[in-house]
Amino acid sequence: MSRFGAAALAAAALAAVTVPFLLKSYGIYLLSMWAVLAVAAIGLNLTLGYAGQISLAQGAFVGIGAYCVALLVPLGVPYPAALVCSALLCFGIGWILGYPALRVQHHYLAFVTLAFTTLVFLVMRNEEWLTNGIYGINAIPRPVLFGWSTGKPLQFYFFSLGSLATIAAAVGWMLRSPWGRAFVALRENPIRALSLGVDTRRYTLIAFALGAGLGGLSGALYAPLVQFIEPNSFALGLSLNLLLMVIVGGSGYFFGPFVGALIAVLLPEWTRITEGYYLIAYAVIVMVLMAVCPTGVLGLIERASRAMRRRPVQTPVPLGGERTEP
Amino acid sequence: MSAVLEVSGLCKSFQGITAVDGVSFEVRAGEILGIIGPNGSGKSTLFNCVLGQLRPTAGDVRIDGRRTTGMRPCDLNRLGVSRTFQMLQVFPQLSVRDNLILAGQEHEGSMLSRLFGRADAGLGEDADRMIEFFRLSHLAAERAAGLSYGQQKLLDVAMAFMAGPRLVLLDEPAGGVNPTMLGQLRERLEAYHAERDATFVVIEHQMEFVMALCTRVLVLAEGRIIAEGAPEEIRRNPAVIEAYLGH
Repeated sequence: MSRFGAAALAAAALAAVTVPFLLKSYGIYLLSMWAVLAVAAIGLNLTLGYAGQISLAQGAFVGIGAYCVALLVPLGVPYPAALVCSALLCFGIGWILGYPALRVQHHYLAFVTLAFTTLVFLVMRNEEWLTNGIYGINAIPRPVLFGWSTGKPLQFYFFSLGSLATIAAAVGWMLRSPWGRAFVALRENPIRALSLGVDTRRYTLIAFALGAGLGGLSGALYAPLVQFIEPNSFALGLSLNLLLMVIVGGSGYFFGPFVGALIAVLLPEWTRITEGYYLIAYAVIVMVLMAVCPTGVLGLIERASRAMRRRPVQTPVPLGGERTEP
Repeated sequence: MSAVLEVSGLCKSFQGITAVDGVSFEVRAGEILGIIGPNGSGKSTLFNCVLGQLRPTAGDVRIDGRRTTGMRPCDLNRLGVSRTFQMLQVFPQLSVRDNLILAGQEHEGSMLSRLFGRADAGLGEDADRMIEFFRLSHLAAERAAGLSYGQQKLLDVAMAFMAGPRLVLLDEPAGGVNPTMLGQLRERLEAYHAERDATFVVIEHQMEFVMALCTRVLVLAEGRIIAEGAPEEIRRNPAVIEAYLGH
């Protein structure tokens, strides 16, 4: 990482720890929402940004994770166990959802995953015996961990932030392993990857399952944050919003989801000054952002920093001959 | 000498068009076999059938006497068969070094050992040696996208060699490479061949390159083998001249 990058990261970490003390409870709630949704966006970034598999199902996995915790905790299951269950359940379902990706790609895959999101929504809404239907599940308690209550907004924020940091570190470590390299190869050129011994089928399934598992973890944090869940929260809108976070932040950049989630959570709030038009203003800003930098905010920063560095002409010594361009 | 690769009666047709029509040949250990032929004569389709990218309509492929017809490319690769493609196929966002590590990392251990093992899969030194062998050391940390076309071509070939394959199929390695770089490439191929006692099959249009590199040449036209022999014989063969110059 460059010196600039390290400084920016340190500043961001400092801000994440100090800023909430200056905020009222709604502001803290928004920051907690950022941390929780960033976990889901990291998962989607893994599936989409690194492994190149489009998914419109991430919101559904957040929903499955949230319902899993909301249903298990009242049965007396300790919160950490329920959280692990959420992740494992979504990992398994994500693995199965990966199978269509072995056959279809791009917009066809988008439709398969969209259908899955609809299916999950219908189950949440119609299977009242399990999910309580449109009435949702109320009064989800905030966990007490090692004798430390997360009941107050600030406490829950730090619990979410700690979870985000732990998950991000684990994902970052995984991406530095040969798996991360294989995911990028899968995105950039699956045919060549296959010819080099990369089992692209298995990596595709793993990419889907890990992404979904992180969606489940995010849901397991989401339920005690909002304390009330209902099917509409996890309809297609959430999946699209998570997709937006990944793309706006910078798909395939490690810190992309952090930036994207921050924008997607805070921007609608800031545009509230336009009152009735705030969603329109939000939409316009997003459209302009996408038109100006399709590689997302981090892509834009990278381009700018490259231009600024202006390294002493990047002409590698040619191998005994002039450069041949294709 | 034993046959590393045996192809017998291989056919491939696409919706009624027969691209490869009953091709049989053997590749002996240690030789460099050239396959030439006019455009559309079925050379690349033949490669794709041998390497599992395409499933042949009929016929058999054996590697070291073991039937491999229909095996997946990744499994074939782990058996020690490697290839390059006609078009450049490097991973542009990965560094030169990571391109090479990737090319070798799936060959040993399990998925879990790759997750929990070393970040470079224990291949860092091998990659550096390969980088040096192809004289790309000054570019090791560059992203592949930043290399010139000729350098990417060298990297492409180096990747095929990374896992120490015994049989390498090269699809037009000389395509689009300038004459100076071409000499380098040929020299590196010969050096690798001598050092590792590997077996090569090379598809190529560039006659000089084929004649200088290969020990034996097959000529394909309209999906069939029309001639076979030492490079000098092929050069004089009337059927070959006919196929190239047309009727």
